[in-house]
Amino acid sequence: MMAADLDRVWEGVTARIWASQPAAVERVARRLLRSPGLARALVTTPSLLGSWLLASAAVLAVGVLVSRELGTTLVPLLAPALAGAGIAYSYGPGTDPAYELTRSVPVSARTVLLARALAVFAVNAALGVAASLAAPAAGGVTVAWLVPMTAVAALCLAAATLTGSPAAGAAIGLAGWAIAVLAAQVATGGAERAASVPALILPDLLFAAACVAVVLHVTRIPGDRVRGGI
Amino acid sequence: MDDDELVAAVAGGDDAALRELFDRHARWLEARLGRLVPADAVEDVLQETFVGAWQGSRRYRPQGRAGGWLWGIAVRQAALWLRRNGRSGVRAWPAVEPPGDDNPEDAALAQVELARALAQLGPAGSPRRELWRLLFVEDRPEAEVALRLGISRGTVKSRASRVRQALRAALGRDGA
Amino acid sequence: MNIEVQGLTRGFGRATAVRDVELSADAGVFGLLGPNGAGKTTLLRMLATVIPPSSGSVRLLGRDPAAHRERREIRRRLGYLPQQLGYYPNFTVFEFVEYFALLKEIPPARAARAAASAVDRVQLGDRARAKLRTLSGGMLRRVGIAQAIVNDPGLLLLDEPTAGLDPEQRMGFRALLREIGGSATVVVSTHLVEDVGAACDRVALMYDGRIVFHGSPAELTDRGLGHAVGDAPLERGYAAVLAQARL
Repeated sequence: MMAADLDRVWEGVTARIWASQPAAVERVARRLLRSPGLARALVTTPSLLGSWLLASAAVLAVGVLVSRELGTTLVPLLAPALAGAGIAYSYGPGTDPAYELTRSVPVSARTVLLARALAVFAVNAALGVAASLAAPAAGGVTVAWLVPMTAVAALCLAAATLTGSPAAGAAIGLAGWAIAVLAAQVATGGAERAASVPALILPDLLFAAACVAVVLHVTRIPGDRVRGGI
Repeated sequence: MDDDELVAAVAGGDDAALRELFDRHARWLEARLGRLVPADAVEDVLQETFVGAWQGSRRYRPQGRAGGWLWGIAVRQAALWLRRNGRSGVRAWPAVEPPGDDNPEDAALAQVELARALAQLGPAGSPRRELWRLLFVEDRPEAEVALRLGISRGTVKSRASRVRQALRAALGRDGA
Repeated sequence: MNIEVQGLTRGFGRATAVRDVELSADAGVFGLLGPNGAGKTTLLRMLATVIPPSSGSVRLLGRDPAAHRERREIRRRLGYLPQQLGYYPNFTVFEFVEYFALLKEIPPARAARAAASAVDRVQLGDRARAKLRTLSGGMLRRVGIAQAIVNDPGLLLLDEPTAGLDPEQRMGFRALLREIGGSATVVVSTHLVEDVGAACDRVALMYDGRIVFHGSPAELTDRGLGHAVGDAPLERGYAAVLAQARL
C-alpha cells in the first residue's frame, strides 16, 4: 500500500481551517448567479457592508422622525440620495484598492460593476420602502420616488464610471438631484413633489436608460478609456 | 513543547502548533487508519481527523494522552466515512473492554478488531451472533439461552465452543 | 507559444507608451528591463488583458484577447501582479488569495485548496489568518505573488515583484520563478538588473517604448564588454545598450 501524501493531507487541513464558511447570503447568491466569484464580489461591496447599511438606515430613521414632526414625508428625498451615493461607492478605482488586478480576472470588472450597482439599488429601495411605511404621507404610503431614484442612481453610476472617482460620481449625481428638488420647490411649492411628478416618470426612466447605455458602451472593451473605464 | 501544550496552543488558535502535532502523529495515525478504511480513503479521514482536532481542541483535558485523543477522533471520522460510504463496519461494538490494556490507542484498536471478528460470525440477528450476544454479552445462563433460541443445552454448549474458536481464529489472524 | 505579439503599439492621447513591439515566448522566465517610463508596465498591462493595444496583433496562450470568450479563457490561466497592488485591509491573507481564486473561476472546493497551497508556497503559512493590515510591505508583496500563482497560470506577469523583499526572500522568490518557468511563461518586469541575471532565460530591454535588446543574459553581458559604466557585467551591458539607444 502506498503511503499517504502527507503534504496533500496538510494542504486539505489548512484549506478547511483557514477558510471561513460563506454566509447564507453568499451561498444563495452563488446559486442564483451561478458564479461563486461574482457572489463573493457582491457580498464584499463596500456600500453593502454592515457599517454602510447601518448608516443608511440611521439616516432614514432620522428622516422618518423629522417627517413625523413636520407632518410631511422626507423619505422620497432621502432614498434616491442614499442609493446614488451607495452606487458611486460600490466599485471603481477610487473604491477598490485592488482595482487594477480585478481588471485581469475572468469574472469581468464590468460584470462586477453592474451586479453591485443593481444590488445596492435593490437594498436601498427595500430600505426606502420600509422607511416609507413608517413615515406619514398625505395620500398614504407612496413609492413613486422609486422612479427618480432610478434616474439619480443611474446618473451616479455613469458619472463615477466616466470620471473614475466615486466622490465625483456621487457629487454629480447628488447635485443633479438637488437641482431637481429645488426646481420642484420653485415650480410647485413642495420639494417632495420632485419625487412624484407623473409627467416626469417617462423622462426619468429614459434618462436612467441613457446613463446605463453610456456605462455599457464605455465598459464594453476592457480598459479602452484612459481614465475610469472598466 | 509537549503534546498537551501543543493541544492547548491549538485551542488558542495557533495553527503552527497544529502543524507540529500533525508532523508528530500523522504517520502512525495513517498506519492504523489503514486497517479501518480502504487505502484510498485514508488521506481524507486523516484530513478530517486533524480538522476535528482543530475544532475540538478546547474540550481536551491535558492528561498526557494527546495521542489517544487524536486516535479517538480518527476512529470517529473513520466510522463516519464508513457510514457515509455504505459500509456497516464499526457500528455494532460489543460493550466488552479488552482486559489488561491501559493504552487507549491499543484498546480502541482492539475493540475495532473485535467488532470485525464478530462481523465474521454473521450479520446481527443471525443464530451465531444471537448466541454470542445472549451467552457472553448479556451473560445469561445456558438454560435460558437454550429456551430463547429453541435448541437443546448441549447444542448451546457445542455452538458456544465453535463461536469461541472462530473468534479466536479471527482475532489471532489480526494479530491482537 | 504562450505569447505571440507583433507590431504592438499603445498610445495615450498624444503620447505613445509602446511602439511596434514584437515578442514571442514559450515556457521559461523572461525578463523585461528598462528605465522608468520605458513602457514596461504598459506592455505588461496589455499582456494581462487589462488594456487593449492601439494597433498590432496579440495572441496569448494560443487565443485572441480581443474576443470576449477567448479573453475569459486566457484570464483563467493568467496570473498578474501589478506594480501597485492595493489590499483589502480587513481580509486575512488566506481570504484575499481565496477571493481571487474565486474571481479566476476556480470551483469553490478547489479554490480553498489552491489558496492554501499558494499561501504555503510563498511561506506565509504561519500568517494565513492574519489580517492584511497587520503585514509588512514585503509580506504584502508575497500575498500578491500568492494570488498571482493560485490558479497555476500558464502565463505569469509580474511587475516589480521583488519590491520590498529582503535578499533571502528574493532568492526564494527566484527559485519559485524558475520552478514555475519550467512549464509556464513568466514575464518579470524589473529595474533590478541582478534579478534578471539570476532567474531569467531571456531578457528584453525597453527604451522609449521600443525593444532595444532581445537575447540571453550572457549576450547582454557581452554587449557591456569595455563599457565604463556599471559595477557588474550585466549592469555594464544594460548601460551600454541604453547608451546606444539614446543616440
